Amino acid sequence: MAYQKVEVKKPLPLIVLPYISVIAFFGLWEMAVRTGFIPDTLLAAPSTVVQTFVDKLSNINPDGATLGQHAWTSIQEAFIGYGLSLLVGIPLGLFMGWFKVVEGLCRPIFELIRPIPPIAWIPLTVFWFGIGLTGKVFIIWIAGIVPCVINSWVGVRMTNPTLIQMARTYGASDWQIFKQLCIPSALPMVFGALQLALTYCWTNLVGAELLAADSGLGYLITMGGRVARPDIIVLGMICVGISGAIIGFIIDEIEKKLLAGIRR
Amino acid sequence: MNYECGCDPKLKIHCDNVSKTFIQKGNQEVPVIRNVSLDVMENEFLVVCGPGQCGKSTLLKIIAGLEIPDTGFVTLDGQPITGPGPDRGMVFQSYMLFAWKTVRDNVELGLKLRNVPANERHEIAQHYIDMVGLQGFENHYPHQLSGGMKQRVGIARAYANAPTVMLLDEPFGQLDAQTRMFMQKETARIWEQEKRTVIFVTNNIDEALFLADRIVLMEGKLPGTVKTEYVVDLPRPRDHISEALLKLRKEITDNTELVL
Amino acid sequence: MSNNIANETIDHSRNKEAWTLKRVLTNTYFLNVVSLVLFFLLWDYVAKERIFHDSLARPLDVLNQIITLVSIKYAGSTLWGHIWASTQRVLIGFFIAAVIAVPLGLFMALNSYVNAIVKPLFDLFKPMPPIAWVTIAVLWFGIGETSKVFIIVIGSFVPCLLNAYNGVRLVEPELYDVIRVLGGSRRDQIFHVCFPASFPAVFAGLQISLSVAWTCVLAAELTNSRAGLGFLIKRGMDTHKPTLVLGGMLLIAAAAWLTSQGVGILEKKLCPWKRSIENL
Repeated sequence: MAYQKVEVKKPLPLIVLPYISVIAFFGLWEMAVRTGFIPDTLLAAPSTVVQTFVDKLSNINPDGATLGQHAWTSIQEAFIGYGLSLLVGIPLGLFMGWFKVVEGLCRPIFELIRPIPPIAWIPLTVFWFGIGLTGKVFIIWIAGIVPCVINSWVGVRMTNPTLIQMARTYGASDWQIFKQLCIPSALPMVFGALQLALTYCWTNLVGAELLAADSGLGYLITMGGRVARPDIIVLGMICVGISGAIIGFIIDEIEKKLLAGIRR
Repeated sequence: MNYECGCDPKLKIHCDNVSKTFIQKGNQEVPVIRNVSLDVMENEFLVVCGPGQCGKSTLLKIIAGLEIPDTGFVTLDGQPITGPGPDRGMVFQSYMLFAWKTVRDNVELGLKLRNVPANERHEIAQHYIDMVGLQGFENHYPHQLSGGMKQRVGIARAYANAPTVMLLDEPFGQLDAQTRMFMQKETARIWEQEKRTVIFVTNNIDEALFLADRIVLMEGKLPGTVKTEYVVDLPRPRDHISEALLKLRKEITDNTELVL
Repeated sequence: MSNNIANETIDHSRNKEAWTLKRVLTNTYFLNVVSLVLFFLLWDYVAKERIFHDSLARPLDVLNQIITLVSIKYAGSTLWGHIWASTQRVLIGFFIAAVIAVPLGLFMALNSYVNAIVKPLFDLFKPMPPIAWVTIAVLWFGIGETSKVFIIVIGSFVPCLLNAYNGVRLVEPELYDVIRVLGGSRRDQIFHVCFPASFPAVFAGLQISLSVAWTCVLAAELTNSRAGLGFLIKRGMDTHKPTLVLGGMLLIAAAAWLTSQGVGILEKKLCPWKRSIENL
């Protein structure tokens, strides 16, 4: 049936439970550390993390930069790498989906590189580019390009074959069909890749910063480990999580806008 | 109506002033059927015919017990219907086979749910698989079958559960014309072979005329109401282009503004 | 497999043509071979010309390095030992995560109260990349096996749970009606519809988990370890031996690929009804 029933009312416990759950989680965490059930050398209480957060906004000790500077480094790297992976990956995937020659030439190399976890490239990038921006951008680029290529490729492949035949009967050339038909019909899949690629980029960025960096949120976590400050480690983890979620949310909104634009 | 047994037809299903309203997103109310009253006799082949979106499927779901009417009630053998039960078998338009079960397991499912012992259930399933002409395909998975064959499995599955009422919701809506005609003949054959009370929902007037003892026409816009009834008192097996049938078809089409 | 569905109509006509030069040049297999040959030649050339100085090894040197590792012990174990060290960690962590996360995901989808309690916590942890746990895992569990398995569990957990959860929620609701009409109970709906219908989604989740698990084990081993493929790569980095780094990369890719094939075979065995739609 085309008419869906909409649940009018949620029972009260279902509305309240999520809040209770989250509050209980932070409460227990705080309690566990305060009472010494978990030693404070292993885990910092949420309140301590908040203090550290306020402190780190202006204090550059012990890792050489404020929180804002670390976050800026990470976001900068993430966006350059992410942008480059979209810029290369999407057109490559689209071409691979439509032109057999491109597919025949690119697919074996792609399949060869794809199963290598992106952070395995870290030593090579350190050899080649040092521990600066370029190396990390390279790793993020490698990480982000895989979902971009796959999704655009599948998107083109999923073009309705009848529509393609229809276009052929109108005398459209290969290139025209690709441009007018395949790319638009692949767009929803391509947009799906935006979010996926971002997740991959962000994960591998943290990995790259943990292992070879001199600033960035991942580096903050490593330094927290080195100076044995659990509050800094937890703060770093939370910042990574939150900034990842915020960027994800922004991309999601952009995706929705773009998709709505196509549907119209 | 079917007077074969020589006795008075027994009332099987009775719908009394049934109405149903769905709430769409944004709390918009959509009345789907309004004040439908309907009697179905035992072993009668009733076809509910109407265009798309006239609430006929909803009526069927209410009789199946899957939806609860807002007003009115439905009785089966004098007992009010409160929920779905194995006494009513249903065949769905989109087949609704379990992709992870073989043809045999699909047909056996209802019996399995009622804890019928394995060998007995095997026997019953085989009987109905043979009846719908699927012998040799017992161990196939649904995706290996054509549309017509899938719906045969759906019919066998409903029959194997030994319901006294069969509810068919546009069962051949997704089939091509040839398969559809063929399946209609098969349905008529199966029904002659094992009589059941049948409520068959369709949007195809020819299908209705070919199969029905009685046709109930529903109106073409929401909320759906019963418009007229026609008794099709023709001998079986019928012919799609016999004169009597075409005459009745013309009578029905003349009396309605719907294009059928 | 690599046949372009969009071009199927043309393919048929092409099949009847004679072996022309153009046909050979556009043949997929021919192009694949050309591509790989060109790739390795380019790699070799770049390495030989020392464009990256001494930081890129020639393909044959990498192969030699791998062969050497098979026979000669490196840091206490042969190549097989290192491969097994990593694989073992991945499998243990992956298994623990799957055993906990898949039932939890199914349970969350089936019971709205469980969902109301677990979902917000899960959403809290979800955006945190598993690699970010490396440091605190070492702080908690030391540099032994436990910390590595812990990270893998964390990493594999999310996709397993998400897919099991969505798998159940995306089941065609009319299938539940079928069970109801046939006289089944809520329990029957769960066992005959929910679980089998969510199977393909669960397996897709397992595949993602597995690839995350390999990334995690690599991150953990790169940070600190005494055995494993990540250790080989790390050692290659510290001693500046590109052959070792590249060898390790290729081996970890092969290992990741093989385990994922294993899960794929298991899936085919366990759900024979599932057609593969697009073979990627």
